[in-house]
Amino acid sequence: MSVFSQSFSPCGRFLAAGNNYGEIAVFSLSAALSPDSTALNQKPVLTFTAHEGPVFSLLSTDCHLLSAGNGEISNQPSTPASCLLPVCLLSPSSLKHLLSPYRSSLEIPEINSMTINSRDNSLVVGGGDNNIHVMDLENGVFKTVLQGHSDYVHCVTVREREAEILSGGEDGAVRVWDSRTGQCVHCIEVYKYEVCARPQYGKWISCVTTDSDWMLCGGGPSLSLWHLRSLSPTSIFNLSGCQRQAAFHQDLILTVGEGAFVSHCLLGGEVKAQIPCTPQSLNTLQLNNNSTEHRVLTVGGSSDHIDVFTNLSYRAFSLRF
Amino acid sequence: MYSLYLLYLNGCYFARIPDEVIRKRLLIDGDGAGDDRRINLLLKSFTKWCNSPGTPEEGFTQYQRMLGILAQCEFSMGKTLMVYDMNLREMENYEKIYSNIEQNIASAHEKIAECKKEIQRAKRIRKNRQEYDALAKVIQQHPDRHETLKQLEALDKELQQLSHIKENVDAKLELRKKQFHVLLSTIQELQQTLENDEKSDNDDNSQESPAENGE
Repeated sequence: MSVFSQSFSPCGRFLAAGNNYGEIAVFSLSAALSPDSTALNQKPVLTFTAHEGPVFSLLSTDCHLLSAGNGEISNQPSTPASCLLPVCLLSPSSLKHLLSPYRSSLEIPEINSMTINSRDNSLVVGGGDNNIHVMDLENGVFKTVLQGHSDYVHCVTVREREAEILSGGEDGAVRVWDSRTGQCVHCIEVYKYEVCARPQYGKWISCVTTDSDWMLCGGGPSLSLWHLRSLSPTSIFNLSGCQRQAAFHQDLILTVGEGAFVSHCLLGGEVKAQIPCTPQSLNTLQLNNNSTEHRVLTVGGSSDHIDVFTNLSYRAFSLRF
Repeated sequence: MYSLYLLYLNGCYFARIPDEVIRKRLLIDGDGAGDDRRINLLLKSFTKWCNSPGTPEEGFTQYQRMLGILAQCEFSMGKTLMVYDMNLREMENYEKIYSNIEQNIASAHEKIAECKKEIQRAKRIRKNRQEYDALAKVIQQHPDRHETLKQLEALDKELQQLSHIKENVDAKLELRKKQFHVLLSTIQELQQTLENDEKSDNDDNSQESPAENGE
């Protein structure tokens, strides 16, 4: 089993994780983190099958959990923020409308990544048809299509301050789009820069994340930190293996990928620490910023264990599917 | 125990001894040994001494003995009072220490919160510093601005000079062109004139020859 995606609930007390069998499991963090938790609290509170194929992306909005797999986005009413009865959360029969950006059912590529653009309350979806679709969350209508990638899109992220969308794809390009006009403002071909290119791994970009002024991207080429205003790479992180997800956290960069560890790196380029984890290779990393009392980092990968870190320096325990 | 019971019974007639006191005294001195027994013994010997018919020496020794027992009772009472005082003071002491520790705990909590805030600030500062360093590295790779400006100025000057030269050369070219034009047009005119002359000569000759032939 591989865990491909995770998402925390808006109240921060629940974690939803999706695996390659199409199942979504909801874990109760408050139960697992309480002082008297048992092995039973580390099992999911609820598991259901949401898609036929793998669940590549999960996203929590205020009242829904959006999950994306092969060509469809389905919409589960999420755990209520008040969480009065954590046991009877959502039932599979209450799956709402399946949204599909594609006209015909012949062309159903997979959806790799979703993110929310909170400026105009829209959902940005990137997938296997080389395009990025932007959907208005209020009425479910697809507003714009951002075309430009020549191969499928692996990851999308939103740059809050400048109202821009960044996307990375298999064609090795990180494209910066203006979210209002839908034009591609910049195109950075990472593999063309000698400092970060690693031809032996290829040119695909599997993770893009931004901090408004800075951007991290990695995949085939080494994980590198870019200054977005000058579009120049400032630091290269010397990590073996391809990185699949990275995040900015306070003054550190946390990244996961091939290799059974979470790498902590400083902005200057040095790798400060590598914390070992259970799965052999990791696919997803999430930090719970929605709740002050359950500030944890969770990572999941090619195993049915999801490691939970309460202190970033060591693995506290694992949740099991 | 029995004496206490008797005392209670006596108390019903002579004085109201509260139950609490009885209970406490039973707890402390339930077995009847010790101070209580001594007081009873004293009372008994006092009544016996008052009613005794014996010799004055015996009476006197008895009296001394009683004084001794009285002194013992007083001593024991004094000791108990002091122990009580001491306990009270110990209690105060412990109260003080307890409130002290509570205060320390509260201030330690505050200090922890302060330090956490400090850590956050320091992390932000570190992050900013690292960002500056990263940018500085990139900037270092580009050449210095002054040098570039100087190079630009030099290039500008060169450009100006070259365009000056070009102007000169152009002017010269124009001049030569005009001169050549003048030369060529003069040559052409001369050619024309020569042709005209030749023609008029030929005409003259041909006019002359028929004239000659006609003669």
